[in-house]
Amino acid sequence: MKFVISREALIKPLQLVAGVVERRQTLPVLSNILLVAEGDQLSMTGTDLEVELVGRVQLDEPAEAGSITVPARKLMDICKSLPDSAQIELTLTGQKMVIKAGRSRFTLSTLPAAEFPNVEDSPESFELNVLQSQLRHLIDQTGFSMAQQDVRYYLNGMLLEITENSLRAVSTDGHRLATSVAEVDTKGPANHQFIVPRKGILELARLLQSGDEQVKLVVGANHIRAHAGDFTFTSKLVDGKFPDYQRVIPQGGDKFMLGTRQELRQVFSRIAILSNEKYRGVRLSLTNGYLQVMANNPEQEEAEETVAVDYEGDTLEIGFNVNYLLDVLSIVSSEVVRFTLADSNSSALIEGLDDANSLYVVMPMRM
Amino acid sequence: MTDTLVRKIIHCDCDCFFAAVEMRDDPSLSNIPLAIGGSSDRRGVISTCNYPARKFGIHSAMATAHAMKLCPSLTVIPGNMEKYRQASAAIMAIYADYTDQIEPLSLDEAYLDVTGSTLKDGSATLIAQEIRQRVVEQVGITISAGVAPNKFVAKIASDWHKPDGLCVITPNQLEAFVLQLPVKKIYGVGKVTTAKLLQMGIETCADLRTFSMAQLVDRFGRFGKRLYELSRGIDDRPVRTSRERKSISVEHTFATDLPDLACCLEKLPVMLTELAQRFEKHAEQREVAGAVIKLKFSDFTQTTVEQSASECPLALYQHLCQEAWFRGKKAVRLIGVGYRLQPKNSQQAVQLTLID
Repeated sequence: MKFVISREALIKPLQLVAGVVERRQTLPVLSNILLVAEGDQLSMTGTDLEVELVGRVQLDEPAEAGSITVPARKLMDICKSLPDSAQIELTLTGQKMVIKAGRSRFTLSTLPAAEFPNVEDSPESFELNVLQSQLRHLIDQTGFSMAQQDVRYYLNGMLLEITENSLRAVSTDGHRLATSVAEVDTKGPANHQFIVPRKGILELARLLQSGDEQVKLVVGANHIRAHAGDFTFTSKLVDGKFPDYQRVIPQGGDKFMLGTRQELRQVFSRIAILSNEKYRGVRLSLTNGYLQVMANNPEQEEAEETVAVDYEGDTLEIGFNVNYLLDVLSIVSSEVVRFTLADSNSSALIEGLDDANSLYVVMPMRM
Repeated sequence: MTDTLVRKIIHCDCDCFFAAVEMRDDPSLSNIPLAIGGSSDRRGVISTCNYPARKFGIHSAMATAHAMKLCPSLTVIPGNMEKYRQASAAIMAIYADYTDQIEPLSLDEAYLDVTGSTLKDGSATLIAQEIRQRVVEQVGITISAGVAPNKFVAKIASDWHKPDGLCVITPNQLEAFVLQLPVKKIYGVGKVTTAKLLQMGIETCADLRTFSMAQLVDRFGRFGKRLYELSRGIDDRPVRTSRERKSISVEHTFATDLPDLACCLEKLPVMLTELAQRFEKHAEQREVAGAVIKLKFSDFTQTTVEQSASECPLALYQHLCQEAWFRGKKAVRLIGVGYRLQPKNSQQAVQLTLID
């Protein structure tokens, strides 16, 4: 096996593929990436058994065909460290991979390609084409609410729901929920729900471009596969029942507050400094025309600020984890946001005024 | 700062307490190797042993089967907790005649703060002597005592002339005493830390003093600060009359090893019920801050996994148990489940849940 490739062509796909490889591995071959050279094409594969990413690169000259696995991080670090204009030659000599560029020479250990696990395929059930930018937007709008290492394993991921001409993303960590929907062409009636694990979502998002290129999603019983440009991404699906998001979206709110997103975000960021570092609680007090935000911490330090908002009605006092509010205010794109509230023990619904596609639900804190 | 702050702390520690009570009640046991603990055929462990037994290398927490190997003539008798509790109460009552600043560490160990006492002309040494004498006369066992200006040194001192000894470290002797002290005598410095310290060329507190607080904190985290202070004889911890529980747990050694993970998981519900019951007593002052699980494998290696959580359902313990089991992937002889506790704070904010 032998091929030559420019650093410029190699570096981006290599970084994406190596990104899937976990730092700590039980199986030695999992810290490697699989290189397959055939004709004028090089493919690179990284996996952690849950998520697999294959990247393909066009070679200028036909390669001497072959396949082998090499340590992902070392290969990436070597290629990154070379000058921008470097031409890199990789040659498999016996059981070593020899990398030459200019006057540099590296010899990397390898493991046979046959030892490299591939994510098992399951029969596919349906396909969907969406704009990469659309899918990326859905993930950006909702991904921050995914749980991390929750024992309710099905929360450590994102629910994707496909119904006729609509693709919806939902994530929740049990304290807050984010959902966003996009219009897509399903070519007829559809009804599918599946949970993509957290890592799968984060890796997928890194892959997606902001332009108007398409990504083809192929969903099987246990897997989702995404074809985007020169990449094929595969993730296992989480086998579990996601909470019914519709039941969680509050209906009974009768108190509305409208405020400027940036202004509210700045106020909350300032007040957050003196909130309890662990619980992050802030108190909100709503009166006609004004929102007062307060926080204190165990050191008895206090912060307080009043901001003009559009609010009419009974005085309402309600507490929140300020991080949850800041997460929402950072991601909403509208200039004006609306909070719909009922009482101090009921969830708040937060929406951007110009964006009916995304909804955020945040449960208060009792304080 | 004023010099009235020099404190007088006595650390009292009964000599092989459970064994001593048994020997008191049956003098024929006095001069033979004796241990209190579970029997070897039920895979018990030694909780205490007397000095003749210690000569064979037997110590507490050792498996009885192993102890029997070291000393085949060892007499092992099951403990009688009720009897020990009575003896302990009698000893604590004697302490209470000298101060109300008593911090019991266990049934057989306590710190007494006698700063400002007018008894015995205010001499902590004389108080300690009298306490030791009264315990022998009224309870029938011996205790060792250490007298020092702080808890750290008092505890080490009580061990200095053990058994049946008294060791006094006056403020004037403190400096010299601490300087020569081997670091492994410091409470909290175990095998691992001793090895780490040795690697740094540190064997005594004098060696420790050559390192700055920053260096020690860098190496040992928060414990580094403590090492820095202790090596200078500084320990401001007060004698706490009501001890705050930091954790509560239930442990069980099984009569036969549990062969696999499924068998371990099966044991959790009953243990958690017992844990919840045990916690009830403390629920007024303390609240749950996390879940801990401990597994001891058939080869006696053990591992603990913990996660902070305000609620600790079965699912969480199953998850932790799984994580712990995979570290050993062996048959399990002991499971422990516990709560990490924190002071209850009614002011504290509670995040309400959207989804259970």
